[in-house]
Amino acid sequence: MHTTFNFNRLVLLLKRFFIENKTIELTYWGIMILVFTVIHNAETVKTILYIMGFIFAAKQYKLFAYTPGGMHYLLIPATHLEKLVCNILLTTVYFFTMFVITYSIGNIVGTNLFNLLNGMSNPVSWNFFNSSYAQLMGGNTSLIGNNIDLPGGNVFLNMMVKFLIVQSIFMLGSVYFKHNAIGKTMLTLISFVIIIGMIELFFLKDLFSGVSLGPNTHLLDNFGYGFNIFTYLLIPFLWIVTYFRLTEKQV
Amino acid sequence: MIEIKNVDFSYTKNTKLLTGLSLNLETGRIHGLLGKNGEGKSTLLKLISGLVFPFKGDINVMGFEPLKRLPEMLQEIYFLPEELPQLTLSIENFEQVYAPFYPNFSKEQFNQYLKEFEIDTKKSMLNKLSHGQKKKVFVAFGLAANTKLLLMDEPTNGLDIPSKGQFRRMVAASISEERCLLISTHQVRDLDSLIDGIIIMDAHEIVFNEPIENITKKLLFKISDSNETNDTLIYSEQNMQGLYQVCENKTNKDSRLDIELLFNAVVTEKKKIKQLFQ
Repeated sequence: MHTTFNFNRLVLLLKRFFIENKTIELTYWGIMILVFTVIHNAETVKTILYIMGFIFAAKQYKLFAYTPGGMHYLLIPATHLEKLVCNILLTTVYFFTMFVITYSIGNIVGTNLFNLLNGMSNPVSWNFFNSSYAQLMGGNTSLIGNNIDLPGGNVFLNMMVKFLIVQSIFMLGSVYFKHNAIGKTMLTLISFVIIIGMIELFFLKDLFSGVSLGPNTHLLDNFGYGFNIFTYLLIPFLWIVTYFRLTEKQV
Repeated sequence: MIEIKNVDFSYTKNTKLLTGLSLNLETGRIHGLLGKNGEGKSTLLKLISGLVFPFKGDINVMGFEPLKRLPEMLQEIYFLPEELPQLTLSIENFEQVYAPFYPNFSKEQFNQYLKEFEIDTKKSMLNKLSHGQKKKVFVAFGLAANTKLLLMDEPTNGLDIPSKGQFRRMVAASISEERCLLISTHQVRDLDSLIDGIIIMDAHEIVFNEPIENITKKLLFKISDSNETNDTLIYSEQNMQGLYQVCENKTNKDSRLDIELLFNAVVTEKKKIKQLFQ
């Protein structure tokens, strides 16, 4: 028996999720296909991805809001690491797969339906996957060529990183806060952003007076590579914090 | 099987729930845990299963430290809480999902227990069952899991009268030399002729922990018509049927243990009882 990590137990945990949430998951799939049949604009889809993503992540540890649910979960004979990996797989791989499949189906059905009803022959647009770096910036190309070096300039990868950060923040929030985890995490996040903004505005502006901080420029952007490394490291950091929080969880 | 040494615990900084609690439980026995509301009975079960952590002291369960919640320990513990989790699963799926986590789980036993509880179909959804029926499913699962340690918090709450009898029979049949059952309850009558050890908590500590054979050897439970007192009397209370008395059993007479009377005697005459059992 492997104490730290056992693949069979991980499979059992995943199986548990899908059997226990079969009905609700099928409902999500149906709703998302319907939504994407109507909406397939790349920017809106991206917003939906973030919103749905954090709701899904926060839902994972929602059971701690209800003591018997939390007790039941903590007493499942699996390690904290297995439980965490299971939730990471669900909030990232599974959720993203669901998102891509439902978006693709909705997009194809929606475009063809639109063509049929309007006698048009528009091709199915895959802008959500193929959008350029300029599109990411909302058409503002002035930032390109700045110090920001997103890997391969790939908007999709960049979006994935942002998505994973949002997911991991909300997963940590759901295990950290007992009640109203989504609201409290959001509040914490907003407060954090405001504090960072104030530090940037009042303190660092004077300190780095040579650095241009225009309306579209952010302090962290000017760190270039440093910012990228920071964003990549933030994800495992949040997962590790979630792990320790889970090991210390009492109900 | 369970060793608890000088454990302190509290939910808030200012009030201590358990102070210097020590307890040893052996295998092959069904222990009844009794106490008034808020004494910390459920908390004790949570401490044993690793759901809450002690501030001070040591807890050893089958050689494991519960707070680590290792799967090797958890697969040998089944905790039936008073309030059950909300699961949107059929009984069939519940078994399919959770049974593989318990290596000694017996499908045959589970089916047998469900049959005894008159739950005919495993297609029923747990969230659609009444509290009592849901409890029967969890009791059946807990017994069929064949874990070394079975913790039950108010297991008979919500069970109808015939089911309480079935519950007693099933639990009595499930005990083995390697197994230990700890049942916390207010319904002392439900434990009648089931338990073979009584643990009483009062003022947030264990004030009594004795096997039944010791209790009936040292104490005599009787109903008296007159108010006469003698030097063996420890505790008495007036009831509809007469004067119920707990006396020191100096003559080695056999008497039927009255758990409720014992509880009242222990809580009221702590010193006398303690001296007698030392």
